[in-house]
Amino acid sequence: MSALTITGLTKRFAGTTALDRAALSVRPGTVHALLGGNGSGKSTMIKILAGVHRADAGQITVMGRTYEASQFTAAHARQAGLRFVHQDLGLFDELSVAENFALDAGYPTAAGRRVRWSALHRRVSQVLETYEIDVDPRTPIHRLRPADQTMVAIARALRNQEEGELILVLDEPTARLGEHESALLLDAVRRRAAHGQTVLLVSHRLQEVLRSCDDFTVLVDGTVGGALVDAHPTERDLIRLMAGGTEPDLGGHAPRETSGPAALRIEGLRAGPLRGVELTVGEGEIVGVAGLVGSGRTTLLKTLFGARRAAGGRMWLHGEPYAPRTPAEAIRAGVALVPEDRGGEAAFADLPIRDNLAVTVLRRYWRATGMPRSRERRDSAALMTRYAVKAAGPDAVFSSMSGGNQQKAVLARWLRREPRLLLLDEPTQGVDVVSRADIYAAIRAAVADGCSVLVTSSDLVELETLCDRVVLLKSGRTAGEVIGPHLTAAHLTGLVQSALGANP
Amino acid sequence: MTIEESTVPASTRTAEPKRKRGGSPLLHTAERYALLGLTVVIALFFSVWPGSSSTFPTMANLNVVTGSQAVVALIALAALFPLVSGYFDFSLGAIAATSSVLCAGLMSHNRLPLGVAAVAAIALGAACGAVNGLLVTRARLNAFVTTLGSATLLGGAIQWYTGGATILEGISPVLTRFGSAQFLGLPRVVYVVVVVMLVLWYVLTHTPYGRALYAIGSNARSARLVGLRVDRDVFIGFVISGTIAGVAGVLQLARTGSATADSGSSLLFAALAAVFLGATAVNPGLFNVFGTMIGVLFVSASVSGLTLAGASNWAQPVFNGAALLAAVGLSTYLGHRRGAAATS
Repeated sequence: MSALTITGLTKRFAGTTALDRAALSVRPGTVHALLGGNGSGKSTMIKILAGVHRADAGQITVMGRTYEASQFTAAHARQAGLRFVHQDLGLFDELSVAENFALDAGYPTAAGRRVRWSALHRRVSQVLETYEIDVDPRTPIHRLRPADQTMVAIARALRNQEEGELILVLDEPTARLGEHESALLLDAVRRRAAHGQTVLLVSHRLQEVLRSCDDFTVLVDGTVGGALVDAHPTERDLIRLMAGGTEPDLGGHAPRETSGPAALRIEGLRAGPLRGVELTVGEGEIVGVAGLVGSGRTTLLKTLFGARRAAGGRMWLHGEPYAPRTPAEAIRAGVALVPEDRGGEAAFADLPIRDNLAVTVLRRYWRATGMPRSRERRDSAALMTRYAVKAAGPDAVFSSMSGGNQQKAVLARWLRREPRLLLLDEPTQGVDVVSRADIYAAIRAAVADGCSVLVTSSDLVELETLCDRVVLLKSGRTAGEVIGPHLTAAHLTGLVQSALGANP
Repeated sequence: MTIEESTVPASTRTAEPKRKRGGSPLLHTAERYALLGLTVVIALFFSVWPGSSSTFPTMANLNVVTGSQAVVALIALAALFPLVSGYFDFSLGAIAATSSVLCAGLMSHNRLPLGVAAVAAIALGAACGAVNGLLVTRARLNAFVTTLGSATLLGGAIQWYTGGATILEGISPVLTRFGSAQFLGLPRVVYVVVVVMLVLWYVLTHTPYGRALYAIGSNARSARLVGLRVDRDVFIGFVISGTIAGVAGVLQLARTGSATADSGSSLLFAALAAVFLGATAVNPGLFNVFGTMIGVLFVSASVSGLTLAGASNWAQPVFNGAALLAAVGLSTYLGHRRGAAATS
């Protein structure tokens, strides 16, 4: 008997198969880990369970009731007893714990719709006690430690437990937590399981999962790469499953001999989560930075671009000391950054594509007679052809393009300045396969013209495809590098997931 | 409070139409000139309407309308700079009123020559803009609240300076003559507006600075990451805006020949109505200079017609308010419709 069973789950997105007859079986009262690299289909599976996506085929059985996965809605999920706590907890930071409960469950009221605060606080106190959360119900959420915040979200999601058995789905609950907080949270989750709570846990951190989970399901390319029931696998076992059955070689590698002056050299860089980064990018080299979310990849690029102040360490650009205080200074030094958050940090969504392309070279266009619109339009059209940006024309609004074309336009905006160092943060996130090829071609063409590239990506296949060398970033430090024949996605997956990677 | 929170998007960005992804060029042209067409229709209507046909389509009325709306037009142009870069400025009416009172006071109480008084008044406008700009960009205060605060403060300062009385005496006749004189059949002040308009049009659309302001208004974070100096540019925008409001104040004194202890809020709201109406025309979806001018003409033609047709004093504020609501409502509706079209 299992609390939650998924069989034959298949889901296709425009051309790609995210899930191919995937299966999952969660025993009641256990903590079950759902594992897999990026693009393995685990988020798709969770989204189908939550009723966000509709599957193309498959069955979902919850507590003995079977649903067609193609017709499984959010209402079904709720009615069946599935409760979700996502990475974004959905709590109101400024409001008290009690109010966060009441906004979901309703305020207890007396005559005249008056809120009975004391009754509310008593009730919430009881819940907090059950969940061993040692806080006053009047405390605002933001004063709670992160692990307690997550527990409050869990307690809130499970508040109707007595009305029927519920299954808790935790989607990357520890992604934003430090090591200590994660341990606290997972211990608390473990204790709930000891009380009979069924939990499905999605996490990237293998060591945590090993400590807190009973069963493991590993997805690889949308299919089940392995399912371990009541097993005690080692980290290496899980990595082998995630890497598709091959044993990643964790041995050391000799760093490549780089001849000539380095395009970029970093020594002991500290900033935010970065606690000592050593890095060299040779002239015309494409260097990748791999690491988990929170390892400081984005901070590294932002600091190099002058958008964040370094707290310590030294940098050299083409042999010259380099310490940009603003992006404007970095740009003048020949550095360009394509940020990760396209909508929030790169797009001028309501302006024409022409303006989006010209924004890096406004001063070059200016004459006393004004900005030459026709020349801008011609240049924009030429850039759009060169970088395969498909749109109605240079005057179409930026947001009218697809994500892939938007990304190519952002890249074109920088490449037209012929930067000497190009920083790319997740350059093909949310980008279709065709545009991805265009983007790789554009990057390689820039490198052929003498540009050096530093690229971060959580897509390890991308790093394999693009990079001459990949540097591992772990807990804010550079922890080794991979070059030559070892530079494969499977090997990188092993290194990124494994703590062993810290000392190659 | 972060800069994101103090920017306009929450209110105006949703109020602005999303620009279209192509569509028929004819429809596009129709939309660009809809407001201008509507203005012409209203002017024609009042020219033939029996209640106003004898007074509305006359040179005398054209003089009154354009002359009296010159100050509103200047404040509308001043408001463009903060709005384009994503900020509200509620203090422009008060800055104009303060400038007007100071200019009159310096001539009347201190017997200073016109030139000195006018320059001092305009400099005061620039200084007020600089203070607003510093508070918004350096101290990261919410622009909405900051400028509302400066407006209230300046209103109080006007009361203190004038003691609540109107300054009538000692105002340079050169100034008042300029205010009532005509050139080529139109009030001279109209030419001041035209010159300012052309300069601002050049700055906003034909300099890197103006283009940077539009980029900042579109997405300040992106603007910073393409190397634009966001804080500096926004600050300069507030200073330019305050300076133009200062000029508007001197022009106001020239038109009326006296400076009353008024807070200038009626000037501001008429001007804001024109700017928002203007964002639906010429370059739909973006605040722009010519659209703003059409907005001013639209409001003034309608109000003048209504007044001449016998409507009472309340007609002007009611019409301004209704026009503003209609403009914001229409652009929001168009924005939703296009947003839906773009995602389908």
